[in-house]
Amino acid sequence: MKNWLSTIQANKRLQAIMIGLYIVVTFLSLYLAQKSVIAFLLLLASLLLLYFTTFSNRIKWLVAGLVMVVLLPFAASQGEAYQSYMEVATLVGIYIAMALGLNIVVGMAGLLDLGFVAFFAIGAYTYGIFATSQANNFMPFGHYPLSGGSFWVFIFIGCLAAALFGILLGIPVLRVKGDYLAIVTLGFGEIIRIIFNNLDKPVNITNGAMGLASVQPPKLFGLDFMYPSQFYYIVLVILLVVIFAVRRLEYSKIGRAWKAVRENEIAAQSMGIHLVRTKLMAFAVGASFSGMMGVVFAAKQTFVDPTSFTLLESITILVMVILGGMGSVPGVILGAALVTILNLQVLTELTNWLNQLSLNGVISIPDALSPAKMQRFIFGAILILFALYRPQGLLPAKNPVFKKEDLTDTSGHPPMNAGVQKEGAQHVHLDS
Amino acid sequence: MSILTVKNLTKQFGGLVANSNIDMDVEKGSITAVIGPNGAGKTTFFNMVTGVYQPTSGDILLNGESIVGLKPHQVTRKGIARTFQNIRLFGAITVLENVMVGMHTHLHGGLFSTIFNLPHVRKEEKEARKEAYRLLEYVGLESLFNEEAQNLPYGAQRKLEIARALATQPKVLLLDEPAAGMNPKETSELTKLIYNMREELDLTIILIEHDMKLVMEISEHIVVLDHGEKIAEGTPDEIRNNQKVIEAYLGKGAAATAS
Amino acid sequence: MIEQVLHTLPQVLIDGLALGAVYAIVALGYTMVYGILELINFAHGEIFMTGAFVGTAILLTFSGLGWITSMPAIITLVLVLIVTSVLTGLLGMGIERVAYRPLRNAPKLITLITAIGISFLLQDLVRFITELKNGNYILTGPNLFNKQIGIEASSILSVFNDASVKSSFFIVLGVAIVMMITLDFFVNRTKWGMAMRAVAQDRETAALMTVNVNKVIALTFFIGSALGGATGVLFAVQYGTIDPYIGFILGLKAFTAAVLGGIGNIRGAMFGGILIGLLEMFAAANLPIVSHGVLGAEYKDVFAFAILIIVLIFKPEGLFGKVTVEKV
Repeated sequence: MKNWLSTIQANKRLQAIMIGLYIVVTFLSLYLAQKSVIAFLLLLASLLLLYFTTFSNRIKWLVAGLVMVVLLPFAASQGEAYQSYMEVATLVGIYIAMALGLNIVVGMAGLLDLGFVAFFAIGAYTYGIFATSQANNFMPFGHYPLSGGSFWVFIFIGCLAAALFGILLGIPVLRVKGDYLAIVTLGFGEIIRIIFNNLDKPVNITNGAMGLASVQPPKLFGLDFMYPSQFYYIVLVILLVVIFAVRRLEYSKIGRAWKAVRENEIAAQSMGIHLVRTKLMAFAVGASFSGMMGVVFAAKQTFVDPTSFTLLESITILVMVILGGMGSVPGVILGAALVTILNLQVLTELTNWLNQLSLNGVISIPDALSPAKMQRFIFGAILILFALYRPQGLLPAKNPVFKKEDLTDTSGHPPMNAGVQKEGAQHVHLDS
Repeated sequence: MSILTVKNLTKQFGGLVANSNIDMDVEKGSITAVIGPNGAGKTTFFNMVTGVYQPTSGDILLNGESIVGLKPHQVTRKGIARTFQNIRLFGAITVLENVMVGMHTHLHGGLFSTIFNLPHVRKEEKEARKEAYRLLEYVGLESLFNEEAQNLPYGAQRKLEIARALATQPKVLLLDEPAAGMNPKETSELTKLIYNMREELDLTIILIEHDMKLVMEISEHIVVLDHGEKIAEGTPDEIRNNQKVIEAYLGKGAAATAS
Repeated sequence: MIEQVLHTLPQVLIDGLALGAVYAIVALGYTMVYGILELINFAHGEIFMTGAFVGTAILLTFSGLGWITSMPAIITLVLVLIVTSVLTGLLGMGIERVAYRPLRNAPKLITLITAIGISFLLQDLVRFITELKNGNYILTGPNLFNKQIGIEASSILSVFNDASVKSSFFIVLGVAIVMMITLDFFVNRTKWGMAMRAVAQDRETAALMTVNVNKVIALTFFIGSALGGATGVLFAVQYGTIDPYIGFILGLKAFTAAVLGGIGNIRGAMFGGILIGLLEMFAAANLPIVSHGVLGAEYKDVFAFAILIIVLIFKPEGLFGKVTVEKV
């Protein structure tokens, strides 16, 4: 088996053929079938296979782009389940972005935030309040709801609002010792939810438990975005921006500062790293991703209420990060995809299938054990099993590997320490 | 010329006095050793100089400027770097990245310029990588640059801590028991490295050490602490024959026989 | 307004004491485990909840068998308490053995995640077992100690309203006090108690002093969980109806109590629990009044969380704890 794998890895042409074939087959199955969840998921899985190939990054992104932008939507559009496929894909995209945000906070900076869904809620309510007539209740100027054209601006506003809130939350919370951070963030997450649930008096800002309905759909050049298949592209674009940003940050001064703080706070301080500022930046960046997706979520669901922002949601996102691999961008993407698909498709399909079986009298699974209700059990089991046996996740975080040639100085540029060195000093190499 | 001056420095933890009225003058470019039996307050002293602890009273002056009240990251920016008694590396990241963390205060990539991958950030990163590699070559660890720091053998980890501290471009380098757990070959390499650092990088070096051979060989000035107080200070020869020092390390009986 | 506050004060005091006693004992579980392992046992609230369900299940079985009417209620209760506490104690010990011990040297983050996982697992386990047997995951136990006793507080001070209290209140309070005194005695006066305190201070040295650290930790979990489970039974008896999600919020508030009293400090946890219980009842009764209906009763939970956050930020060592300095 190992030999077989290594021959494949060595031979790029073979890989190209295999993956090309795979994509064609799954594409055709999806295209021709009326409703095939499996074909849809398999076509999505082609991205995972792509990840393991040894092509250059540029090629991988191109192929991935082809699949996600053209092949997947096109193939899915031929069946009657088009919108439900796109719904799943859109939600996967939203959760990936949020999981990437939590990954920065938990995976890179090592801060266990159990109230992460609060930032999602901020984004959703920010758009929701102004895109429904709700804002008329307290805003002294302007006429609400704002038109769908404002959606695009609100993506930025939601991003900033969530980031700001992340900082405000972080300032008191980060003074708390490591173990307690989890509980405090959990407390804050709950406080936010309860406040949103009760903020219909004295001034009606969030309409309390009743939620905000009829959120304006986004509008671009006269086109109203109302279907999941349209939101799919919005989510895809934002997700690409998020992935790009995270990649850049990961291997930068900021990313290293986060990891240093996670590994050893005291040593990080001795390297000149401002602890609080670094942690706040992690919170702010992580929160901003959720904020943006919150805006999209509100527009897509056209309804915002506090029940979408519970502790279960925060834990769900945490499960995505742990499952995929803390600190690992590809890992978290995989984790988010798996958990979302599990929640949305697998559990419901499984429940339907079992119901069918009971109806036909084959076996009878009592309603209490129906898979769709077993979410907590499954998440709990995943968390425990992974924490005990595979804490690094499915696709563990990888350190950057450099080539020696890139690091040795051939340009004749003086080293940065030059100012500190005395004139005419020679480097002395020690025997190691 | 004095680069670091400590006046009447005292640190109290509740009822326990860890450091009491310490006075010290460190000459620029010198190699000074702080020695004393375990529990004498040496690391507490380092911790105050680097801002980890705030002194109960007294003052610390770097180039004439008081640094009391500064947080550790601010002290580092002023030009004081340190290594730790119990190794504090960033275990899960590579050796090269560990050194690059040391460069934090000299890199300028902000949030937005990093996200948009602006050319000056790219250039800075590239130069930083090269500089980090050069520092690794300086301490002799360049062959391990892609390794995870926690996988390194003990001696290499100690060297990495030094390389990382150097990356902050300090004026004063505090080494907390740098030779702890090293064999004679490693210790002699360390001795060479300390001399080189002082000569080539224009550093002032203060070290806490228990290895007396290293201390006697390398220091120009020794300060002896015991039970939080400075009990002696002087050249290695003076300290070797100092009654109080012998008493502190070996007890009153030994001091009597020595004299 | 002050008058309105005073009117309800006797009832608030009584309800607060009952609730506070529950918080106090659950807080003990948190504080003992944190003292020994420096771990926040997220799952402890669920152990409390499991105790409530196990106890109620036993009571329902008894009443189904007709045993309830034939025995004095107090004997039934004691029996149920003993059985439930042993069962939950074993559950707690089992969890430690399976999920926490293997991770003793892992980073704290991982252990916290395991604890959250167990918390979720237990919630759903109890839910579907209850739903299987009962059709619904909300469980109502048989009524014990239901007699309403009136307390004529108005005879003390005329501005007080009369309070009414279920007779179960005295049972709950009584059992709670007995448990707290027993634990205090155990920890401070017995050999094993001393071993527990030693391990909490310095695990390695205690081991060098021939203390079997693993056994002590197992014992700590057993005691903490047994007490938590017993409190669950008391809670079920006092409030009648339970669901699998009561452990979460209550656990959080009990944890707040433990922190307030000084984490690792047993007497502090007891004090913290009573205090939080009183404060919560006070807030529930008076927040709507004081804020003229703006802040509803749901805000009492926010109130408890707010206390937690404020304590952790400004005085993390709690009221009776010691400030610890990290060695650099």
